[in-house]
Amino acid sequence: MSAVSIWLTIVGMTLVTLATRSLMLAFGDRIPLPERVQHALRFAPACALAALIVPELLTAQGAWAISLGNARLVAGAAAIAVMLATRSMMATMGLGMAVFLALRHFG
Amino acid sequence: MIGHRLFGRDHRIAQARAEAWSCGLCAAAPVTVALAAWGLVAGVAMAKSGLTQAQAIGMSLLVFAGTAQLAALPLIAADAPIWVVLLTATIVNLRFVIFSAGLYPVFRHLPLPRRLLLGFLTGDISFALAFSRWSAQPPGASREKTWFYLGICTGTWLAWQVSSIAGILLGGRVPTHWGLDFMGILALIALVLPMIAGAPAAAGALVASVVAVLAAGMPLKLGLVVAVLAGISAAMAVDIALERTGRER
Repeated sequence: MSAVSIWLTIVGMTLVTLATRSLMLAFGDRIPLPERVQHALRFAPACALAALIVPELLTAQGAWAISLGNARLVAGAAAIAVMLATRSMMATMGLGMAVFLALRHFG
Repeated sequence: MIGHRLFGRDHRIAQARAEAWSCGLCAAAPVTVALAAWGLVAGVAMAKSGLTQAQAIGMSLLVFAGTAQLAALPLIAADAPIWVVLLTATIVNLRFVIFSAGLYPVFRHLPLPRRLLLGFLTGDISFALAFSRWSAQPPGASREKTWFYLGICTGTWLAWQVSSIAGILLGGRVPTHWGLDFMGILALIALVLPMIAGAPAAAGALVASVVAVLAAGMPLKLGLVVAVLAGISAAMAVDIALERTGRER
C-alpha cells in the first residue's frame, strides 16, 4: 500500500472503531432496546471474553493443537485452576506465565 | 489548584470524583501488567509489518483497538483494498456495539462528547472490569460510576499506549519468542471466571467458546461475532427456562 492509502486506512479504522464503540452510547435514546435484550446484554462480556480466549488456547502457530504438548493449553488450564482456588488475578497471571515458560523451555 | 481544575469547583463533589477515579485506577492496576505485555507484542508486530514508525504510532494512538489492529496488519501487508481492511476491522469490533448498549443506561445523562470519549476508551478489559463491579450494585447511572469508569480507562489507555509505542520503537529488539502476549490471555481468564456465576452465564460462555472454535475459519473474522451472539442466545435460553421452572414450582 502507498503511504497515503495506509493513512486513509488508519483514519478509516479510527472511525469504524469509534462508530462501533459509541453507536448505542450516541443513539441509545433513539434506538430503544426491549427489556429482554437489555437483560441479555448482562451476558455479553462473559461470552465475548470466552470467544476470545478459547481459540487462543487451542491453537499454536495458526493450527489446531489440542494436546498436552500445547503449552498455552496446559498453562491456560493451570491458570483457570489457580483463579478458581485463589480468586487472585496476580497469582493467576504469575503462575500461568510460570507454567507456560517452563513448558516452553523444558517441555 | 490542579484538583480544582480537573474535578470542578465544589470541594465535596471534586473529592468524590477524585476518589471514584482513583478507585477505578486501582481496579485496573492488576491488568495493566498484562495489557503492557500485550501492547508491547502488538507494537512489535506493527513495527515488523512494514508500517513506518509514524504510521504505527498513529495507528496505536488513533485506533486504540488491539484485536482490530492485529487483524488489519496482514491485510495491509498483503495490499488488500482499503474497504476489505475496514470491513474486517468493523466485524472484529462489532462486539463493542453490544458493550456500548450495556454502557448506555449508565452514561445516558452525560453530554454527547463525553459519551463519545467514554466509548472511544472502551476496550474488552475496561468493559469487563466495570461490569463485574457494577453487577453487585443497583443499576442505573451515578457520578461514582462515571468517574470509576474513567479511572479504569485511564489505566488501560496508559498501559496500552506506553507499551505499544515502546514495542514500535524497540521493534526487533524485543524477544517475541518469550510469548509475552500470553499474559493478555491469562488476564482475560482471570477476568472471565468470576463472571461465569450461575447456569445462564456458564451456558453462554460454553456455547460462545465452542462456536468461536468451530467458526474460527470464517472470513473477515466473522466467527467472533457469531460466537458472541450464539453465547448470548444460549444464556438467555437457559435464563428463560430457569424462570419458567421457577414459576411452575
